[in-house]
This record gives sequence, structure tokens and C-alpha cells, in this order.
Amino acid sequence: MRALVIDDSRAMRRIVTGILAGFGYEVRDAEHGRAALDVLGEGWLPDLATIDWNMPVMDGLQFVSAVRANPAWRSMTMMMVTSESEHTQIVRALAAGAHEYVIKPFTADAIRDKLALLGLLPQEVSL
Amino acid sequence: MTTTDTGARRRASDVRPVITDLIDPATVEAIAAEAWVALIGEDEVLVPLPGELPVDIVSSWVDVVGPWTGSVVLTTARSTAEELSRALLRDTAPAVLDDEDVADAFGEIANVVGGNVKAALPGPSALSLPQVGNAPLVRNPADVCRLDLLWRGEPVAISVQGALPPLPGSTPTRENEVS
Repeated sequence: MRALVIDDSRAMRRIVTGILAGFGYEVRDAEHGRAALDVLGEGWLPDLATIDWNMPVMDGLQFVSAVRANPAWRSMTMMMVTSESEHTQIVRALAAGAHEYVIKPFTADAIRDKLALLGLLPQEVSL
Repeated sequence: MTTTDTGARRRASDVRPVITDLIDPATVEAIAAEAWVALIGEDEVLVPLPGELPVDIVSSWVDVVGPWTGSVVLTTARSTAEELSRALLRDTAPAVLDDEDVADAFGEIANVVGGNVKAALPGPSALSLPQVGNAPLVRNPADVCRLDLLWRGEPVAISVQGALPPLPGSTPTRENEVS
């Protein structure tokens, strides 16, 4: 399975990439939504995108909306991974088309549990 | 009988909450403690004891703009910020951390703490991207919730501080009280 990690923090990209690679994902990353759209535009379509909210150039909500506007990318599951933890923000993200929401700080176990709920945890990874 | 509003008295709309009306130090400490355990490591604790910050310090912060406007600021020694960054990155840390690595990682810690502080405040509010450097000035000493903590024996200060000066005629702050 493939994952695209979108976060303006290099540290957070490394951490999330490490977690997902540990679950067996092939991972690419992008520093903002615009760069992530460029990856999708190359034809590299992931099963999962983890998306920070506050990023320069194009934020996570704009990215989710852009993906939802393109039927060719509909199969991709979008999981917000963000420190935006206001209830209204969570509702906005889900309404825009995000499938799941993980609030920073998170643990690898929290990511694993969300992936299991989404049916995106490779079978060889035990719960 | 009619009265004339001279404007000398404060109107209800002039009342602006200060941070100590909205959040208490225990809540900020709990948010920081959770962030530390999740980001830095399960055994990493913040001890609520003051320590003296050295001269060579660095701050990371995010701004909150909403019903309360201000910043959530982390301040520590540069060497401690580097140690925090290495702990955050764990086995993904490069052999040599450059200034950009430290700024990025230390900024992300402020982002996580600040995002969760924002969620505990009345909203809706907007959160800025993290910044790293010299902390924003305290504009109103009465609008500050500050914690002095120790991590691995090194001082770390967390300040939730308003961005606006005191309103004219507001309650005197400690700085201008006359004893």
C-alpha cells in the first residue's frame, strides 16, 4: 500500500513516514497541499494521505477540497493529522471530505487503530 | 432622569478577557505533559519546578487569533532545544542536526502545545504557523499564564501571553501597582 504524508514540518513528516513505513507502506511526502497535488498529478495515487491542516502555500482543507473535486482521486483515503483540535474544525474537515481525524500529539498506536478502522492496516500488522 | 455617557466608564463591550480568566496553569501543564509523552517519549516528564534560563535561549511559538488573541511560547536553552529536537525525531534524526532541523522540530512542539491550548480557549480561533526566534514581547503582564518547568533537569518555560496592551483604566498590573 502507498501513503502520501503531507506536513510542512520536516520533523513530523519523518515521524509519520517512519510509522507508516513500519506498517509496510511505501511512503512519499510533501511539504504542503500544492506539492501533494503535484505528486498526484504525476500519477502516483496513494491509498492513504495524512494531511496537516496549517501549512503554507496550500493548507490541508484546501487540499482535501481539491482532491474531492477530482473523481480520479476518489479512491484515496484522507486522514487529517493536525494540532487543530477545535470541534468546529474537525467538523469542517470531515464535511469537506476527510475520512478520519487524528489530533497531534498522537502515538503510533493511535495511527494504527485509525488505519485498522479504515481497513488500511496491512494484515501482517497485528493489533 | 437622563444620564450622559461621557465614555469615561468602561462599556461592557470594552471588557476583554485575559488568559487567566480562560485557562489555568494546571490545564496548560496537562496539555504540555501530554505533548511531551507523545512527542518526546513515554518516560519524558516535565517537572513543575522553576529553573534559571541561561543567556543563550531560543523560543518557538504559535499565535492564536480569536476571542482571545496572543501567543503560546516555549522558551529554553538552545542546547535543550537541540536535545528536544533529537528526542522528537528519535531514530529518524540525522547524525548532525542543523539549525533548520532544530527550528523545525522545536517549532512543531510549540505547534502541538499551542493547538491544544487553542482548543481549550473560547473559539473560533485561528492558529498561525510556528515561528522560532526571540519570543514576542509581553504586552500586558496581567494577560500571561506562565509555567516554569524542568525537562531532564533543564529549564523550559511555557508562556500563554496576550498580544494586546492593557485597556485604558483596566485593573492595575503587578508592574504598576503602588505598594
